[in-house]
Amino acid sequence: MNHSIETENLSLWYGDFQALIDVSVKIPDGQITSLIGPSGCGKTTLLRCFNRVNERYGNVTTEGKIEILGKNIYDPDVSLPELRKAVGMVFQRPNPLPISVYENILFGLRIHSPMRSITRTESDQIVEEALTSVFLWEDLKDQLKVRATSLQLEQQQKLCIARLLPLKPKIILMDEPCSALDAKGTRAVEELMEILAGTYTFLIVTHNMAQARRVSEECIFMFLGELIEHRETQALFEDPEHEKTADYVQMRYG
Amino acid sequence: MNAMTTRAERKQKVVLQSIAFIILGVAFIFLWHTLKNARAPSGQPASEAILRSALPSLFNNLYSVLSISLLAILFGIAFAFYLEEWLPVTNWIRRLIESLVAILTGIPSLAYGILAILIFFSYADTLKEAVEAFPFPENIGTIPAQIETTVFYAEALTFILMVMPLTIKTTQEALRSVATPIREAAYALGASQWQVLTRHVVPIAFIRMLAGGCRAMSRAFATAALLIGIYTGYYTTDAGGMSGRFLLFLGVALVLSVFSSSLTEVYDSDLA
Repeated sequence: MNHSIETENLSLWYGDFQALIDVSVKIPDGQITSLIGPSGCGKTTLLRCFNRVNERYGNVTTEGKIEILGKNIYDPDVSLPELRKAVGMVFQRPNPLPISVYENILFGLRIHSPMRSITRTESDQIVEEALTSVFLWEDLKDQLKVRATSLQLEQQQKLCIARLLPLKPKIILMDEPCSALDAKGTRAVEELMEILAGTYTFLIVTHNMAQARRVSEECIFMFLGELIEHRETQALFEDPEHEKTADYVQMRYG
Repeated sequence: MNAMTTRAERKQKVVLQSIAFIILGVAFIFLWHTLKNARAPSGQPASEAILRSALPSLFNNLYSVLSISLLAILFGIAFAFYLEEWLPVTNWIRRLIESLVAILTGIPSLAYGILAILIFFSYADTLKEAVEAFPFPENIGTIPAQIETTVFYAEALTFILMVMPLTIKTTQEALRSVATPIREAAYALGASQWQVLTRHVVPIAFIRMLAGGCRAMSRAFATAALLIGIYTGYYTTDAGGMSGRFLLFLGVALVLSVFSSSLTEVYDSDLA
């Protein structure tokens, strides 16, 4: 099986606090993999390494290797815009840009193509396709000019997924995508992920173990910056190898 | 990130504040030393005409105040962008400048006004001598261009010192008001820093930046009005007559101030 993401002895420090300790992991292609673990164990940090958004905070030091789609992303010739085009990210709180729904979806494409190179018919089609794939087209086709921040949270989060699609990413990182949503919204986003998996590789951080069990094929358990266990979801939950994993999945702490 | 860094950060902040304080202290002592011979011309001043005609060097001229404060505001904005967007929070230059700015914005504009007057008076004797050295009576009342320029620059510097820190502070606050999730969203889609700034941060922060600029400008005009008031009160023989320019400058200051407040008001209610 091919691997979209591979890390080798990845360590990361915020100042002198080590948030990741020797993490080596291989994330398979075209599947949903979930990252679980107690708060502060480095799940989000690990996720944020994969499109290098961590670097925006001045005091971050990284060691080790991260290969994405067979390319070390810390090579000097790597272009950040290209990397982030291939590795999309969905955040914990829906964060649509404070512009119209239509422009939200086109924003990614616009910054990656020369000025005024997208015609009106093309852009209409792109917006329709993106919204259709996240099942928002019927709801929003008459509200394309509406400010995206005024939509319902569930719609906003779906829109945040939809705006990645025109860039044709290979990997979509999700940082607790459902924590701001109610049960119905959560279900909707999960279904969407299941449909889109295969076309895209999903890596999802979640606090919700039931969610990890429902949606993911493989599951990674982290604890205090270390990767403890990485197995198929069912095996990890039903027959954990490691004592800490067992304690966590049986909710003895969390 | 954790308790350790916050304590270290606090310590660093205290050290930087102290350094900033010392720098400013030394600057003020130096200034005081150079200006301690400065005094208002006493007696029946032959220089009255000179002083009155030297006044237009900066403060009597609406366009000078306007252009100098505009320039200072533009530089302040550029500088604030550099600090806020390019230098990491941990950078010591950024922290030092922020400490300096915090101290400078806290100084009342009256103090800046007095500083400008001191600079002007410290040149007054030189001015007087220079004009008196001119043998022709018709030259009384005109000031050698060179001295006028010196005074102009010295006073312009005071104004820049007053306007720039305020602009830096308000611009930084405006930039910070743009929520991190918006920036993160744009960065995560692959936008470059320039694109994030021009397409999202500036459009959102613009009104606040404009309001901050107006506030700084209003401060400049109020101080200039104050100076004119002092001068006219001191030198015009017909007491009680307010200079038209004084009223004009005060009016401009008030209008700008009200405009700035209403801008912030509109912006905040727009967000809610």
